[in-house]
Amino acid sequence: MEGFESFVGVNFWTALFTLLNFLALFFVLKHFLVGPVIKIIQDRQKEIDDMYASAGNAEEQAKLMEAEYRQKLTAAAETGEKIVKEAVARGQAREEEILRQANAEASAIMDKAAADIALEKKKAINDAKDEISGIAIAIAEKVVARELNETDQAQLVDIFINELGEQV
Amino acid sequence: MSLNVTGPFIYFTIPIFGGIPITQTTISSLIVTVGLIIAALSMGKNLKKRPDGKQVLLEKGVMMMHNMVVDTMGAHNARWTPFIITLFVSSICGSLIGMTGFLRSTTADLSTTLTWAVMVSVIIWYQSIKTNGFLGWLKGFTEPLAVMTPMNVVSEIAQPVSLAFRHFGNVAGGGVITSILYTALAGLSSALLGLIASSGVAVSIVLLAAGAGLLVLGLKKKKLGLKILGIICAVLGVLGMLQVFGVVSDVPIFQFGIPAVLSLYFDLFSGFIQALVFSLLTMVYISGACPPPEEAVQP
Repeated sequence: MEGFESFVGVNFWTALFTLLNFLALFFVLKHFLVGPVIKIIQDRQKEIDDMYASAGNAEEQAKLMEAEYRQKLTAAAETGEKIVKEAVARGQAREEEILRQANAEASAIMDKAAADIALEKKKAINDAKDEISGIAIAIAEKVVARELNETDQAQLVDIFINELGEQV
Repeated sequence: MSLNVTGPFIYFTIPIFGGIPITQTTISSLIVTVGLIIAALSMGKNLKKRPDGKQVLLEKGVMMMHNMVVDTMGAHNARWTPFIITLFVSSICGSLIGMTGFLRSTTADLSTTLTWAVMVSVIIWYQSIKTNGFLGWLKGFTEPLAVMTPMNVVSEIAQPVSLAFRHFGNVAGGGVITSILYTALAGLSSALLGLIASSGVAVSIVLLAAGAGLLVLGLKKKKLGLKILGIICAVLGVLGMLQVFGVVSDVPIFQFGIPAVLSLYFDLFSGFIQALVFSLLTMVYISGACPPPEEAVQP
């Protein structure tokens, strides 16, 4: 038929054009569409994998640090307790020492006071003896109003004083 | 009214090299290729790590084909993805361009499908020779028995021929059936309208009235069948009347609507299936010539 190709037939030129078209399309698709798309998908996948990996690393590190800090905190608490205990012990020792010292001082003061009192008493008694003997002589001279010899007088005085002394 | 089954129309012939015919296939093929190249370039630029909607769709499509290639041919043959995609889109767009009505499907021309099939065969032979060596490839024809050699040679030749003719036959046959249907429907229209016109004006008026009545009834009862029947009767009445008065004659009324259903199968469905079959068979044949690396080492 004029102007038409046969229904079932192969035309060399059409075949050649088809091949060239196919190759051109293949080149364009490979280098400008499929290649870049697959590459970008793979890049994205890699990025996601990297992100997950780094997140896992960070978590591990954080856990390590947490354990470390926990250990340090425990150590610090122990040290603090020890210090407080030592301080308490020292304080108690000091308290006891102070108390002991005070007691010693107090007893020393008491002893001294007792000695002083005893001395004062003796002195006062002696003074009183002297004074009383003088008063007694004077009273006796005036009350008796009689002359006595010196021996009698002395005898009498001694008797009197002794009696008085016992009374005092 | 005649039915001619022809090959592609030759627009003109370039008078060099003994005449290069520029046919419908040449033009369609060029339009498909240029269109696909422009689409590929515009889609393939500005690809982003964070894709927008369009790129997601593109990636989905490419990955679908990529996964199909990997599933069929194995991961070591993933590099064939662009080739298979080219074959697939060339085939499907080449078939679908026939639906425009004024361009002929490129795949309805044996020149196209046979070119692709032979190209696939050449690739298979090249890969086989690359894997087994030239002598190994020749020796492959004598397996499993030396007696089988003629049959192996025939099957090697039959492979591209069957590949080409299957695709060509489906698309071209669909086209032939469609054109037969158009002719038949035109004949049916002409016969029916001639009958109405020869029966006189009264029949046309009755048909028109009956059609209008059915349409109104269909509208009231909301029944699609009645509406369509009413419209057909009314249009037949009007056209019959016009033919009686000699305004128009032999209007191919039945060519409206009915071929669309067949076109859905022969153009859309068949075009898609044939593209898939061609691509799948190509993948199977090529993967047969490209065994996994560890297998290639052993023999």
